Amino acid sequence: MKREGGMVIYLKAGSELRNRLNPDVDYYTRRVVTQPGKTIREILVDLGINPGLVAFGYTRGRLVRLDHVPKDGEIITLKPPVSGG
Amino acid sequence: MANGLAGTTLRIDLRNGEIKRFPTDESLYRNWHGGRGIIAKILYDEVPRDADPLGEENILILNAGIMSGSFIPAGSKVSFGSISPLTNGHGDSNMGGHLGPMLKFAGYDMVIFEGISPHPVYLYIDNEKVELRDASKYWGMKSLECEARLKKDLGEDFEIATIGPAGENGVLFSCITHDFGRQAGRTGQGAVMGSKKLKAIAIRGNRSLHVHDLKGLRKQVKGIIERTKVHPNMEPWQKYGTSFFMRWSNDNAVLPAYNFRTTYYPDVDKIDGDQLVEKCLITHKACFGCWMNCGKYTKAVIPGKPEVHLEGPEYETGSTCGSNLGMKDINHVAYINWLVDELGMDSMSSGGVIAFAMECFERGLITEKDLEGHTLKWGSVDDVEHFLDMVVNKRGIGEWFAQGTKRAAEKIGRGSEKFAMQVKGQELSGYDGRWAPGMLLSYMTADIGAHHNRSWTITVDIAEGREKVEGRAKIVVYLQHIRPLFDTWCICRLFWGELDITHEELVESLNYITGWGVSVEETLRISEKIWNLNRCHYIERNRANGRFFDYPPARSWEDKIPDGPGKGKGLTKEQIEKMLDEYYDARGWDRQGNPTREVLEDLGIGYAADNLEKLGFLGKPIPGGIPPVRGEKYKPKAF
Repeated sequence: MKREGGMVIYLKAGSELRNRLNPDVDYYTRRVVTQPGKTIREILVDLGINPGLVAFGYTRGRLVRLDHVPKDGEIITLKPPVSGG
Repeated sequence: MANGLAGTTLRIDLRNGEIKRFPTDESLYRNWHGGRGIIAKILYDEVPRDADPLGEENILILNAGIMSGSFIPAGSKVSFGSISPLTNGHGDSNMGGHLGPMLKFAGYDMVIFEGISPHPVYLYIDNEKVELRDASKYWGMKSLECEARLKKDLGEDFEIATIGPAGENGVLFSCITHDFGRQAGRTGQGAVMGSKKLKAIAIRGNRSLHVHDLKGLRKQVKGIIERTKVHPNMEPWQKYGTSFFMRWSNDNAVLPAYNFRTTYYPDVDKIDGDQLVEKCLITHKACFGCWMNCGKYTKAVIPGKPEVHLEGPEYETGSTCGSNLGMKDINHVAYINWLVDELGMDSMSSGGVIAFAMECFERGLITEKDLEGHTLKWGSVDDVEHFLDMVVNKRGIGEWFAQGTKRAAEKIGRGSEKFAMQVKGQELSGYDGRWAPGMLLSYMTADIGAHHNRSWTITVDIAEGREKVEGRAKIVVYLQHIRPLFDTWCICRLFWGELDITHEELVESLNYITGWGVSVEETLRISEKIWNLNRCHYIERNRANGRFFDYPPARSWEDKIPDGPGKGKGLTKEQIEKMLDEYYDARGWDRQGNPTREVLEDLGIGYAADNLEKLGFLGKPIPGGIPPVRGEKYKPKAF
């Protein structure tokens, strides 16, 4: 359900980032009410998540940067940085 | 053997071609867990302290660990080890691909090479058949070229490891290559292999491995597969691998650019992962037992040069051979990646050495005359190609740079040591630690010289505050215990770091495979034991207090980051000293960085304390005693 003047997006995260996202839809996913026009970076700041902990977003099979402006209902995976296999 | 081991260990005397077979000693594995652990123990016990790393007395070890070849996720790795010619201490480096599992399927857990062959040879293993074969016709070939030729001559089903001209010629940061782009890159294992006149290893095997509890292992792995299939990180990882972190590194002021002069690279989008996928990607590649397929098989196309095919560049090569060299086209980065792969050089050290030489050229410390009439300018692929030809053939000043940045700086002098970006002789990986104090401490204290895989703390630094150094040492110690465990077991770290497979689950897998019944805490103690033994070994060989070796180059504290998001940021020398003090305290070492008897005896390696004591480098007892647990797991702040 949308808030008045707002929109809903869904953020997904695994590994360490999941602990910071506090998922509420399923194990990996959090429903977020936000304002249209905000970037992923701004939304992360609103959620109290340091954008430095997110390498990029991934939505509909493609990578998006943190300056991406989500659309209503968009599902975005937050990909954390990692080093070395 | 129903314990994950193949059952046989090979010892090969290259001087006379004698091949000995021994039953694999399970107790050695129980105490050291394979891979880098067993390598550490054998190197410590067998190699004389004054042995030349490129001489007769050094040994080269190939060890497939305890979990490689089982069907647990990414059980694909194999470790090479010897005294490193780059650092003059314990050296080990691992690679993915298929070589480790194939060694075990052929029936062998480990191969130890002794001595130097009188002529070029390669090791041929086809199940029971083990031979040293003449390699004269392969000597002089480049790495990928040699792998292709051996597959053509022996069969596509052989797994091959090769060295290139760099290893043959004693370039100290040479690597060992496998699977057309997987490298045991760090610590100069390729130089040791070359010094032994061992050009390649070719293995084919079709035997079974037996585990302690197949039913339990199968059930566990099935659960892991189901879970990881739907993990949010899986799909982006499969599609992009690590190459996409360039932009993130740039945004967060850790990307090395222009020989670590800055962390801001305005052209980062020209060499980032989306450029790689758009312009270079041919197909995805995976190692044995892995469905992440993080490897990217690519082509590099540059007008006037042949189209070349390679695996990569992944993040480390993309940064060290990209932004660090001022490259502005992903094809140029890929081409340099291919060059160093073919020559058989570690791409991280190569990037460090080239960048150091470029800065020396810019400052007039080396000239066109030194470079046979060529320049060595930022961003020039042609200049890099010519310079690497001088290095690999050790022509003129190429001889200096073939020994890595530390030794080259000693030759060049005139203040160049300040920006020779290495610790203990090994070049830094693709992260600048000036505004990531935990990362800098990780480089400073890594047991094999600067290397990101021993401990990687940048997200911890970001989360905990990048100006603050207090408390970081304990986390570095913890990471230095857990991350190298994967190189001990010979499995890939990514399922742990990326897909939430826990340390506890991996120890459960280990117990299903071996039947040992070990605990998580025990595995960490074994890793700590390996770390301490390597520290003692380093001090015993290099004969000074440990602290002496743990400093980064002076650029790390004298130069603040000049521009970009990290402008003006940097650590002071006092902060670096403080981090070292805290680190030694956390390890139970004295403030000179020397391990104490109490710690070494607690870990069951009191003999190393005896050896340090004889040399006068045993740590002084700690007032109040040593910490009962060394290292502290990072627990993110909740909010």
